[in-house]
Amino acid sequence: MIMGLVTGIVQGVLLGGAYALIACGLSLAFGVMRLVNIAHGDLAVCGAYLALVLATGLGVPVAVTLPLILPIAFAAGVLLQLVLFQRALRGGVLAPVLVTFGLSVMIQNLLVTGASADPRSLDGGRLAMAGFTIGDLTLSWLRVIGFLLAVAVLGTLHLLLRRTAFGRRIRATADDLETARLVGIRVRPVFACVAGIAVATAVLAGVYIGLTATFDPYAGGLTLIFAFEAVVVGGLGSLWGTLLGGIVLGVTQQLVGLWDVRFAVLAVHVLFFTVLVVRPRGLLS
Amino acid sequence: MLELDRITKRFGRVTVADSLSLAVRPGEAVGVVGPNGAGKTSLFGIISGDLAPDAGEVRFDGRPVTRLDASARCRLGIGRTYQVPRPFEGMTVLENLLVAAEQGAGARGRAGLSLAIRVLAETGLTELADRPAERLGLLHRKRLELARALSTRPKLLLLDEVAGGLTDPEVTELVEIIATARARDGLAVIWIEHVVRALTGTVDRLLCLAAGRIIGDGRPEEVLAAPAVREVFLGTDPR
Repeated sequence: MIMGLVTGIVQGVLLGGAYALIACGLSLAFGVMRLVNIAHGDLAVCGAYLALVLATGLGVPVAVTLPLILPIAFAAGVLLQLVLFQRALRGGVLAPVLVTFGLSVMIQNLLVTGASADPRSLDGGRLAMAGFTIGDLTLSWLRVIGFLLAVAVLGTLHLLLRRTAFGRRIRATADDLETARLVGIRVRPVFACVAGIAVATAVLAGVYIGLTATFDPYAGGLTLIFAFEAVVVGGLGSLWGTLLGGIVLGVTQQLVGLWDVRFAVLAVHVLFFTVLVVRPRGLLS
Repeated sequence: MLELDRITKRFGRVTVADSLSLAVRPGEAVGVVGPNGAGKTSLFGIISGDLAPDAGEVRFDGRPVTRLDASARCRLGIGRTYQVPRPFEGMTVLENLLVAAEQGAGARGRAGLSLAIRVLAETGLTELADRPAERLGLLHRKRLELARALSTRPKLLLLDEVAGGLTDPEVTELVEIIATARARDGLAVIWIEHVVRALTGTVDRLLCLAAGRIIGDGRPEEVLAAPAVREVFLGTDPR
């Protein structure tokens, strides 16, 4: 019983890291640009498909495709910001939601047309099966690496925001757009870079999801919901809050799953609603 | 250095600038007074680029800047403070100045840091360098507003009621900070102030604005004595 709980909690924390990895780009885009990107999950799924195509096409392991995929994702984010989001953000609160929802539908349909609706998965090679044991606890290397990856990404973003001139520019712009212009900040490139980073992290998360589970063209919707819940539970705009939110969701899902798997996902949503009612600004704010 | 050429700006039926022309020379200190709604703050918006005029041209250092946004104008050397201070709340005092020095003054790396540290010292904020801006009181917020504008190393500084809400000794200190910065960098200043007392010792020229037009322009004591100026203050003595 105790061992089951410990396993549940550890697995939950690891799962929470993955949620945070998906969510951090959403959190960043909202925090800086007030952009609610409904297509965030679909962009992640695009990343998984891109990895699939490149890995099979070039005959290389999935990890090897990342140095190619991430710059493409960054560029795609920059382009989306300059061509689409930037205009949408000028159109009031609702316009970005509608535009990114449209983008989401478009991506899903393009993926169905291009790759059919069959579920796919990425081949993680030997790593996918490998694990190790601590006492009675058996852990998958892939899950542990995913969690460490999430912490590394969040940590890097944190340092970037707190310690660099570029980060100061981003924080100032997020804080007060007009004052940011007043001190000479070029806002457009800042927004473009943030969108690039957001999409790159989404795609990285998408590849990780593809390695741990199956995905299909419609997987983005569920991915988005978990990411969104992690952001809200943790506290909008706070990166470490997002990690905490992801972990809270992951642990809840695992522990309830021990009791009855059917209620695991439902419990996550109930928790989300509870936090929304009791602490609408999230746990860390 | 700054020229406004027949600037017009209306908000619905309210005219905040009515074919307004103005020239400010390098190093000049110009005070602006006028009743509420005269268009003083809007004038600053038009100069700094926050507000697009309906007609007319803004020139800075001889080149038209009417189409440039506030960010580009800041980099050219127009600095501005807001009447109600708007620091970057989540950033420390030093970070507020650093980002202004790096972006507005183009001072990267060590140059930016030393500029920010110098401004900290000049504005008496050194001890508060690591405090988040959201935890500052009014006096220090006013100082930070001024310090942030100075950190962009402006050639023209637009001050919007920096003395408002402060006590007499605080006003005196603020006036001294501005005088020091002017003496060293030779920057031009346009200063809107209700506390006319704060202006008279600093400015060598005073404008009186009413309903988007300049109704007085000259030496402070002459402008304040002019009948047209006294009339818009409705019998209240602007001195």
